[in-house]
Amino acid sequence: MGAVEAQSRVRSSSRSSGVLPLLPFFAFTGFFLLWPVVAVTLKSLKGKNNEWTLDNFRPIIHSGPYFHSFIVSIKLAIITASIGSVVGAFFAFVIVTYVGGRLKNVLDSISAVFANSGGVPLAFMFIAAFGSNGLATKFIRFLGYDIYAGHFTIFSFTGVVLVYTFFQAPLMILVFQPAISGMRKEWREASTNLGASALTYWRRVGIPILLPPFIGAFFLLFAGGFSAYATARALTSGTVSIVPIVIGALVDGNTQASQANLGASLAVGMIVVALVIMIGYVWAQKSTAKWRQT
Amino acid sequence: MASNLRNSSLQKWSIIIFASLLGFTLFILPVIASSIYSFQKPGGKGYSFISYTWLLHQAGFFPSVGTSLKLAVLAGILNISLMVPTMVYLNFTGQKLKPLVDFICILPLVIPVVSLAIGAQNAMPSFLQNTQYELVFFFVIIGLPFTYRTLDTALQAISLKTLVEASRSLGASWIRTIIRVIVPAIRGGITGALFLTFALSIGEYTITSLLHWETFPTWTVVASQQNILGAIALSVFSFVSAIALLATVALFSKKGARQVGVDQ
Amino acid sequence: MNKKDRVSSTLELRGVSRNFGPVTALDGLDLVVAPGELVALLGPSGCGKTTALRIVAGLEVATSGELFVNGERYNEVAANARDMGMVFQSYSLFPNLNVSENIEYGLRARKIGSAQRAKRVAEMLELVALESKAKSFPHQLSGGQQQRVALARALAIEPRVLLLDEPLSALDAQVRSQIRDEIRRIQLELGITTLFVTHDQEEALTISDRVGVMSNGRLEQIDIPDVLYNNPVSTFVANFVGTMNHIPTIASGDTVDIFGKKIRVKNSKGVNGSVSALVRPESIEVTRTSGSGNAKIITRSFLGASSQIICQTAEGAVIQALMPSHESGDLHPGEDVTLNVTLNEVLVSHV
Ligand SMILES: Nc1ncnc2c1ncn2[C@@H]1O[C@H](COP(=O)(O)OP(=O)(O)OP(=O)(O)O)[C@@H](O)[C@H]1O
Ligand SMILES: [Mg+2]
Repeated sequence: MGAVEAQSRVRSSSRSSGVLPLLPFFAFTGFFLLWPVVAVTLKSLKGKNNEWTLDNFRPIIHSGPYFHSFIVSIKLAIITASIGSVVGAFFAFVIVTYVGGRLKNVLDSISAVFANSGGVPLAFMFIAAFGSNGLATKFIRFLGYDIYAGHFTIFSFTGVVLVYTFFQAPLMILVFQPAISGMRKEWREASTNLGASALTYWRRVGIPILLPPFIGAFFLLFAGGFSAYATARALTSGTVSIVPIVIGALVDGNTQASQANLGASLAVGMIVVALVIMIGYVWAQKSTAKWRQT
Repeated sequence: MASNLRNSSLQKWSIIIFASLLGFTLFILPVIASSIYSFQKPGGKGYSFISYTWLLHQAGFFPSVGTSLKLAVLAGILNISLMVPTMVYLNFTGQKLKPLVDFICILPLVIPVVSLAIGAQNAMPSFLQNTQYELVFFFVIIGLPFTYRTLDTALQAISLKTLVEASRSLGASWIRTIIRVIVPAIRGGITGALFLTFALSIGEYTITSLLHWETFPTWTVVASQQNILGAIALSVFSFVSAIALLATVALFSKKGARQVGVDQ
Repeated sequence: MNKKDRVSSTLELRGVSRNFGPVTALDGLDLVVAPGELVALLGPSGCGKTTALRIVAGLEVATSGELFVNGERYNEVAANARDMGMVFQSYSLFPNLNVSENIEYGLRARKIGSAQRAKRVAEMLELVALESKAKSFPHQLSGGQQQRVALARALAIEPRVLLLDEPLSALDAQVRSQIRDEIRRIQLELGITTLFVTHDQEEALTISDRVGVMSNGRLEQIDIPDVLYNNPVSTFVANFVGTMNHIPTIASGDTVDIFGKKIRVKNSKGVNGSVSALVRPESIEVTRTSGSGNAKIITRSFLGASSQIICQTAEGAVIQALMPSHESGDLHPGEDVTLNVTLNEVLVSHV
């Protein structure tokens, strides 16, 4: 009797499936995620005397340094995402194909640590390894190549690229592995059996299947490289002028209102770039993967 | 045909060797090099623990570590208290709003953390701005993408509907059902989510520094200006212990248990 | 493709072996498949069926032994030049290509012109009755439809030999028998030499011209289904094909005593002591006795024309019998009965 009653209660509750239980989530993300984004947007549209204006965006387009910081940031994101995704995809392939059991578990965990290492400690570790007196530098010099012979320093743009690759590639390993393990051995064998060459297989089957997840992962890496702040800040003390560092300098300490507004407009500029990337990502997924489920 | 076999194993081993060398240079060499470096005496003559012990004598060390631990624990707890009921409800009812929640949980990966921090400076009421606990909320936000995935995977692996209906038909309330039935069933996922949020919070620098709070990472950067060797030692220590911890867990966890099975 | 267009091929394996480290997957397999014949390889899991098929397809390399197609040595022919159509157990369709493109894949690889390709695809779609699904993607098809597309794809290249590796095992029972019959129809229609791997004996017996029973990497026996069933050469084959009673008894010289009747032992002459006699259910006759018989009826299940009767002997052995329903209508659970064996010869196995 009681059970029957409860049964019907369960059924009715799952049928109604209201929004009420989701309220805490929406309230929380609304206040701590969406509201700050709205607030920074509003702020970027306010002038010195609290009037509405687009003036804050003017320096981004017209003034060399601010415009340039976006270029540097985007360049950094593209380069590190490219290197990271290619290197990471290669390692993901090797791990899926040749490594199994516990070793695979260990490699996955290490990748996870490395992928999330993009922070302050990484910067100092790379200074120790690849600084002009770093041990890796000395080791490579000992092997016959001086990385400091040219313009390279660990505190430069190239240095930041090197450090970012250290966490971008492992992130790619994590993100891209499921796609590679999803490649069935039967596809390759069926292709061979039907008389196709390895090249044909990759052109007609392998690459088309792996491309959408690869592009997806690339965008993820781009977003990470574009917005990363801690590593570059700790590594270069702000000398490589990517947007986050410029913003950090603008809003640091006792700033004037105009600088704060400019900082807000740069922050909004970053959001816009990120959204463009996101839209590009969604579009790429849709147009390349019409054959996929759901 | 024998040459076929030999060819493919030659190819296999050259790929493996190349991957190992590349992996070593890119990932292992920096770790080893910086580890050794962290034991060098200032001036480079000989090795000692001096950079490590230097840390312990700094006034800011223990307070900043304490602050970081406290905030990270709170963020982990708040994160799962918010997300476990939300995810259970979404997965159980097949709510139409799931794609929206999914989208919101991806946003922290897309929206640059710097922008979020600048927004927070402007949006938070002053009673929150005046306490370091405001960071907890943003640590939760940053952890959302990872918590969402982890919990979602864990929930899809159990027969949630059967569990909930069985428990509810025996007269248990929703809260009781979640705590007594579902939480034990997705223990692994919850631990994972907690751990991830904790780890992310411990290392968070961007928001913390832009909101001008002192935690372990921001203190490290400040300290590095006094003694770079100390900062290096600190970095090596936190990095290597994270790897050792996770690798040990992986080594003793059941083989392939974490794999998302596509095969078979 | 029509029977006339292409002369069917002979497939021959001579002493083919394959080792995987310490495991011997194939141990000197000899097999000849005549032109247009369908041979099923039947055997328990791990006996080497898949390995044999993959060696024929060139996806696996034999450690030793030779492979011939129409008398031509094939060991060195590359897998993608063998012209063998293979149907895998499952998941082998290219998920990013629709049904037509999947079927077309092998034709493109052969640089066949687009008009001819389209014609051939249409033929194949008709052959497997999937014209309406030409533009569907694999994930939009049922398991049975997917396997039909896989079959069409394998046949589109007009293969010399068709190779099927448990193509039905991922399907449910009803679809399985339907597609099984369809495969046989198409195979007969095209007259294509076919090697069919399965561990389902019913499937093997119903579909093939001949069935080869494998164990431990070798062929135990290969023959037409009737002979395999009625005249198994070994206890392994007897057990594997059809249902078998194991009746515990004592052998002396070359006879055994079954239900009080002396019957000649077909294998292992001169064996003495405890053995199991292998007797098919239909070779056991159950009759009612007025007094005490040698067994008791446990259940009788009506199966249509025949009925299955399960009895227990006084010694405790459980025996299954199969009798025409009209002769067994008066048998009821609990009754005493007499069991009889209607055989002159019997296989025994040691216990
Ligand atoms: N690539 C391989 N590496 C190592 N051992 C293998 C490999 N392929 C097959 N084997 C082994 O060879 C033996 C025969 O395998 P095979 O797949 O041919 O069996 P099968 O008869 O097809 O079995 P099933 O009915 O289960 O499919 C098995 O013991 C198997 O473990
Ligand atoms: Mg097999």
